Amino acid sequence: MKKVLIIIPAYNEEDSILKTCTKIKDYNKKHKTNYDMIVINDGSTDNTKKILEENNIPHINLIHNLGIGGGVQTGYKYAYYHNYDIAVQMDGDGQHDVRYVEKIIKPIIDNKADMVIGSRFISKIDTFKSTFTRRIGIKVISCFMKFATHKKIYDTTSGFRACSKEIIYDFSISYPSEYPEPITTAELLKKKYKVEEVPVEMNEREGGVSSIRYWKNIYYMLNVCLALLAVKIRRYKRCHRI
Amino acid sequence: MSQNLTLTLIIVGIALVVLTTIILKKGRISEKHALLWYAMSLIIILAGIIPQVLVEISQKLGFTVMSSFVIGIFIGILIMLTMALTVMIAGQKKKTTLLIQEISLLKAEVEKLKNK
Repeated sequence: MKKVLIIIPAYNEEDSILKTCTKIKDYNKKHKTNYDMIVINDGSTDNTKKILEENNIPHINLIHNLGIGGGVQTGYKYAYYHNYDIAVQMDGDGQHDVRYVEKIIKPIIDNKADMVIGSRFISKIDTFKSTFTRRIGIKVISCFMKFATHKKIYDTTSGFRACSKEIIYDFSISYPSEYPEPITTAELLKKKYKVEEVPVEMNEREGGVSSIRYWKNIYYMLNVCLALLAVKIRRYKRCHRI
Repeated sequence: MSQNLTLTLIIVGIALVVLTTIILKKGRISEKHALLWYAMSLIIILAGIIPQVLVEISQKLGFTVMSSFVIGIFIGILIMLTMALTVMIAGQKKKTTLLIQEISLLKAEVEKLKNK
């Protein structure tokens, strides 16, 4: 049986972190699954740390705020040091549903993919698909992704993803500090890893503040597009485990 | 080249040497970077002492006014320095991130062992 770790980056998620973790625990009990989880508390200034400690939720407190990239990478380092086979990245704000973990890890277990993205945009189900401006931004990024990697990825900014052991190692070595989701996807495609998307439903965030705020949407999109162009002209080598 | 410009270059060069020495004495700059600033100062002072070289280069490059050429050189040097510093900052950021991650992971492991 594959060892699965759910990585939950959290920054000021006092409103939703307990609910997210409880859902995972309940799911494990109900479905007799054995998903481990680790919350990466990215230097939260609210009660996130207290909630994690009081409820005995496995967590790592970063001694300084690193931002989404540094936080998530800590989770991948933890997964690598503890020899996990699959790592699933999931937001701490309740947007991602633990019921879909089984679905997104399946292609990895079946050896059909190295990374699987939980996608909002290939689903026929009418579910929460982000705001209008962000959807346009995601579409533009998707076009740049196709240009950089020759593969169409529909949900380029989805933070609901599962990775194989090889990619856990790759990410533990190198992970972008900013705009990590689209950039890592493009980098993996350039390294000839198999990246797939599976349809998932997502909810609106239950609390906290998104790392991509409304007024930053255009700035975010421009930066990601530039980063994707940089990925296009770079040469990549896979990181091999020693 | 006017005498005033020559004098200005020498004064700026010497001021840069003094400033670098003060910062170096206080230990707020590494020897490696101080050397770079001393080299810059030397170039500026030499340009003031032997202005003929500057005049010839500026004429060959098509500058009609000498002061434009000197300003151009300064801007060029500053752009290169800023670029080098940007690269250095990115490297430092990577190292800081790595340190924070590894310390936090170790702290979590120590806590786990303590609780056992």
